[in-house]
Amino acid sequence: MGLEALALLGRKAIENARFTAGVFFCVLAAALSGCASLVPQTAELREGLPDGLPRQVELKNVPFYPQLDYQCGPAALATALDAFGANLTPEQLVPEVYLPERKGSLQVEMLAAPRRHGMVSYLLAPRFVDLLREVAAGNPVIVLQNLGLSDGWHYAVAVGYDYDTGDLLMRSGVTEREQLNFAVHEFVWARSGYWAMVALPPDRIPVTADENRWLAAIAALERTGDARNARTAYATFLERWPQNVNAAVGLANAYHRLGELPQAEKVLRAAAQRAPDSVVVLNNLAQTLSDQGRDAEALPFAERAVAAGGPFSDAARETRSAIQQRLSGKARN
Amino acid sequence: MKAVVCRLLIVLMAWTPFQYAQAGMIGTDQVVASATQAERSTIVNFVSRADVAGQLQSFGIDASNAKDRVAAMTDDEVRYLAGRIDSMPAGANGAGLVLLIVIVAVIWWVWKR
Repeated sequence: MGLEALALLGRKAIENARFTAGVFFCVLAAALSGCASLVPQTAELREGLPDGLPRQVELKNVPFYPQLDYQCGPAALATALDAFGANLTPEQLVPEVYLPERKGSLQVEMLAAPRRHGMVSYLLAPRFVDLLREVAAGNPVIVLQNLGLSDGWHYAVAVGYDYDTGDLLMRSGVTEREQLNFAVHEFVWARSGYWAMVALPPDRIPVTADENRWLAAIAALERTGDARNARTAYATFLERWPQNVNAAVGLANAYHRLGELPQAEKVLRAAAQRAPDSVVVLNNLAQTLSDQGRDAEALPFAERAVAAGGPFSDAARETRSAIQQRLSGKARN
Repeated sequence: MKAVVCRLLIVLMAWTPFQYAQAGMIGTDQVVASATQAERSTIVNFVSRADVAGQLQSFGIDASNAKDRVAAMTDDEVRYLAGRIDSMPAGANGAGLVLLIVIVAVIWWVWKR
């Protein structure tokens, strides 16, 4: 062995020792200064059960798929999706989320894959109480924990809790019903920045959903080309937030892609009443009318869209000139 | 000239599977994205999608699989992944559990005392 290799080995050993010492020092410091700083959200939960949460919840009919080597991603995803009858096995999800050379699954891909099965993925806010609220509402929550010193990343699915014993119930790895203390869970979960997600069928809304972020989650499903499920999701969204103009645009776009032009027109007309200056609503209404062969009716809306300006004015100008061309073509014939 | 046309055709062919826009309709994903994102050209998105598909491929999956996986992502997710796949957490099986249990047990013991 060369001198350089020895030096490298020595450096590594020192680094490792430093790291281990660092961890123990932190733990000791935290223990001495009170553990609340180490698990702040658990400390807050201990103050009292948040409003509206039952003391105990267990989603017993969430299935369990024990993970194969390194494949907790596909197993956790199958567990969460099949809770809503998706009927997928981890083996089917391996080619969708598993990265062989990383021996694991990336968070982005965990969010992306459910969209390929007509489900809406939603990243929860990094709050323990939100996790509990989703579970209490019947939505299993996938969390990313770090169980190792540095690279022990692991997906598990929260399916229940018992507030009185302070335990979270999880489907995790090869354990069907893992009872994990709130504090222990927070300790390993905080290391991913409290990363947690749900994947729901399009007729459900997460109880902790933020209006704009949930809309973006539906748009992400629509983007994959699944107009049928996007239509359901936008319609469900509008039942809860009827004033949201962007959701109306989404619903109309889904109708449009499915060839249901009269329905798209109806939604856009109603939206144009509420938001008479929305370039997007006016442009898409003009296009929808034009697609039904009603260019003369479409032109005034296209004119209004161009007049309104803004970041989509180029698209509006294109729509207007296409309509004008069609009209002049008709006039010549 | 021929070369330009060829290049253009290749670009268009590569682009097609990622693009679902309906003629004349402004897409919902453009609307819900922030204004700055909407102003970025689709060419930028196309480049990073193809790039990320290529990067995923280099971690052991085949080309068509990589393309399908990228197609399920949002523009934001694609940008987030680009060039960073190697450094991101990849949930696996949580090695090192034993050591962690020891650490947690120490905390627990101190706290309960």
